[in-house]
Amino acid sequence: MAEQGRYLYAVCRSLDIAALDGLRGLGDRPVEGVESDGLVGLVSAVDLDEYGEDGLRRNLERLDWLETAARGHDAVVQAAALLAPTAPMRLATIFRDDDGVRRRLGEQAARIHTVLDRVEGHEEWSVKVLTHAAESRPEPVGAGGSGADYLRQRKQEQESRDTGLRDAHLVAERVHDALAALAVATRRLAPQDSRLTGLSGTMVHNAAYLVPRLRSDEFATAVGRAATDNLDVHVDARGPWPPYSFAMLDDQ
Amino acid sequence: MSQTGTGGVVPSGGGGYTAAYSDRPQPANLADILERVLDKGIIIAGDIRVNLLDIELLTVKIRLLVVSVDKAEEMGIDWWRHDPMLTVKERGLAEENDELRRRVEELESGSGSGRSSGQKRSASRSRGSSSGG
Repeated sequence: MAEQGRYLYAVCRSLDIAALDGLRGLGDRPVEGVESDGLVGLVSAVDLDEYGEDGLRRNLERLDWLETAARGHDAVVQAAALLAPTAPMRLATIFRDDDGVRRRLGEQAARIHTVLDRVEGHEEWSVKVLTHAAESRPEPVGAGGSGADYLRQRKQEQESRDTGLRDAHLVAERVHDALAALAVATRRLAPQDSRLTGLSGTMVHNAAYLVPRLRSDEFATAVGRAATDNLDVHVDARGPWPPYSFAMLDDQ
Repeated sequence: MSQTGTGGVVPSGGGGYTAAYSDRPQPANLADILERVLDKGIIIAGDIRVNLLDIELLTVKIRLLVVSVDKAEEMGIDWWRHDPMLTVKERGLAEENDELRRRVEELESGSGSGRSSGQKRSASRSRGSSSGG
């Protein structure tokens, strides 16, 4: 059997380790808890020929491997977040053994507790605003139109796209303001490409919102209102996520 | 810990993403997951060190997929350049960057690995210089 390491998915607080029973991580290996300083690290065994330094260097280059690892990592974090306050780790945080995990948790305990204080009782929501305004619409050139007519028409189309995009940005700002009022923290993220999202249109807004769980319904209502009030854009909201975007250590 | 229904939230029937481990109505989109597990979350050093250059290259590649490079530049998005994991305490960064550029060029000229749909478009570009710092 290949040499094994311990993959750390997330760190929880006030977690009943028995609740992890049946939870499976990467490679369908059981997820276990490693305790230190009032924290529980969620770990599972990984083969070091796949997750060691050489293996990672090779495998991170493969999108199919990366997708499987990312989804497997996320699945454990999602499950943990339903059970207890959870601080997700970045992908591929790997130790030689549980003692290494325990040692590192001990060293970082104060900072991790600070993160957990911040996210406890909160959920992350992802909200995107998309517009079709920037897409070119094929418009027939009038019969017998001159070259000048054609150029004028092209120019008008371009101006209309620019205006549409500008308007969509303004709408997105309004949507953001309304949602940010219900969140305790927000984080703007880079717009994403439709090849990975499966969403059509130009993404003019992508942000994460840290929302108190008690306000989840209110937040959902506000998203619904933003969608119906702004039919010229598409508002895409997903959640709740574990608080990935708000779980950085303070000096990170 | 109650779970919030999301059915009413996604107006166009895109399907809500719920946190339930076992009964997600649909998987979250890959861009959302990669954005979070690669760029967010707590960074503590594990025993297995991933070479910074590899992470940087990986992040650039993900950016190529998550945001098209043209659009990212237009909008001034360059989060991989501000990743604290990448910008701190670097020695020989220039050297690494040269290597990185070379490898990105390789990637974009189609010799890298990847899946077909993402690969087509990067193969048509030779914009290695756009990814440098």
